[in-house]
Amino acid sequence: MIHASHISKTYGRVRALDRTSFELLPGQVAALLGPNGAGKTTTIRILTGTIPPDTGEVHIGDIPVASQPLRARRRLGYLPEHNPLYPEMTPVAYLHHRGRLFGMDRKARSAAIARELDRCQVAPMRNRRIGALSKGYKQRVGLAAALLHDPDVLILDEPTNGLDPSQVSQTRMLITELAEKRTVLLCTHILPEVEKLCDRVLVLAAGRVRADGSPDELAHQHAGDPVYRLELKTNPSAGHAPAARELTRVPGVTSVTPSPEQPDDAPRGWHALIVTADPSAPDLREPLAGACADAGLFLREITRPRPTLEHVFMRLIQAPDHTPASGNDTPDEPAETPSGGHAA
Amino acid sequence: MKLMLATTLAIARREFVSLFRVPVGWIVIALFLLLTAIEFVSRTIQPGQPATMRDFFTTAAVLMVPLAPAISMRLFAEEIRTGTLDTLRTAPVADGAAVLGKFLAALGYLACLLLPSLIYPIILSTIATEPGLDWGAVAAGYLGLALVASLYLAIGTLASTCTGSQTLAFLGTLVAIVMLSILSTTVAAQAPSWLADALVQLSVSSRMGDFARGLLATQHLFFFVSATALALTLATASLYARRWR
Repeated sequence: MIHASHISKTYGRVRALDRTSFELLPGQVAALLGPNGAGKTTTIRILTGTIPPDTGEVHIGDIPVASQPLRARRRLGYLPEHNPLYPEMTPVAYLHHRGRLFGMDRKARSAAIARELDRCQVAPMRNRRIGALSKGYKQRVGLAAALLHDPDVLILDEPTNGLDPSQVSQTRMLITELAEKRTVLLCTHILPEVEKLCDRVLVLAAGRVRADGSPDELAHQHAGDPVYRLELKTNPSAGHAPAARELTRVPGVTSVTPSPEQPDDAPRGWHALIVTADPSAPDLREPLAGACADAGLFLREITRPRPTLEHVFMRLIQAPDHTPASGNDTPDEPAETPSGGHAA
Repeated sequence: MKLMLATTLAIARREFVSLFRVPVGWIVIALFLLLTAIEFVSRTIQPGQPATMRDFFTTAAVLMVPLAPAISMRLFAEEIRTGTLDTLRTAPVADGAAVLGKFLAALGYLACLLLPSLIYPIILSTIATEPGLDWGAVAAGYLGLALVASLYLAIGTLASTCTGSQTLAFLGTLVAIVMLSILSTTVAAQAPSWLADALVQLSVSSRMGDFARGLLATQHLFFFVSATALALTLATASLYARRWR
């Protein structure tokens, strides 16, 4: 539904996007992640046809954005991050205006406005001045405007920005509902939101797609070596060194280090240790518990923390090859697979 | 084409209504009516003089120099400043349609500005003795005034696409209009004859003077229409160029 092929954009000497390619299919909810300056906004602006790429092509469905921008925009709904609206208008007047811009006749417009006011829960404020609305209501007016013409593709930049917790929950449900018939591209910094909503994650850094896949795939591919956290009791005078020595002997363990977060009862001899294992090693919880028992260490907790998207994200953007793309002449990665992609 | 017309009118409609939702919209109308009323009472209604609206049109054209930039300054500058221009650009709206829509809104506002002033010729024709008021000259004067204001509004639209500051848009338009006047008078007087002839052609006031006297010249019509079209085309190009910034 969205096909971006080798798009590049340079502002002066700064290369914001460097031959970036990706494809999103109908029904996918994808997140576009990246640190500030990664090229997210530029990507969105190119996808929405607000700015043209220097090189490369974008298609919305089968429509090339560069040569048929007006047709492409008819299939696109966009909620910008700062959601600029006309403060002097009422939500109803604004939605009528947007409907007219999309060529909707009065009957279709009225029906669509009633539908979106209800769906986005703006109806109680329909005749208030937008300038007098709370940030949450303004956000919902923006969302209603993006949905008004029933677009195939929705691009939502920080859609839950300014909403209270119950509105956030409702908006997430709405996005899930919308994705049943549409392609949704989310741009957000709220990573738990991405884990809840998205079946696809694109991580941009320095203008290039650094990773592309489902949250689980990314966690699997980029989580790094498996780690275990153990809380055990040793002789207070001996410290954690003897325990670390015993645990290091377990096959598959590559290192044992004290956890940065020690338990409150550390003075009584309790220690928290982080055991790092070889990625090829099987689940080591049983061998580690056995080693503790054999060494006479009292083990009260062993956990294998699941890597979060935040953890993966931080690893990806801090990776050693995370270099500015400006002047990068290396060939682009092959186009990511549409159904889930792969790490770039 | 039909859709382009619909989007142009949608933009014109929104902009027209919004011009009346800001204080400057009402202030400009009030100022224009107040100043033209003073002119009408003090100079147009003169006992023993022929009934003519010539002075009114001349004064009104001069008033357009600061008032037209005040109308046009917010057309795009406000959208650029608040970011609504980007939202507008994600709708299927061509840049030309956006420029034309805004310009039409400003023209509509201009019509609202001039409409109340029709009371002046009506009063004059009521109190005038024979031969009475020449309504043809009045129509020509209003046409000239509308053409002058259109040109100024088109220049203002162009200035408004260049900046997110209404103040800069206002000043830019004002400077451009004053420059037109200076080029066609002061500079033309000092320039070699071949250049002076060309510069004199830029004179808005002399053309307006002909309209105020009731003269309808095709060359004047052509000048205003083509200069307005040129300014609007440049405004479209300026808006398009913003995509590369």
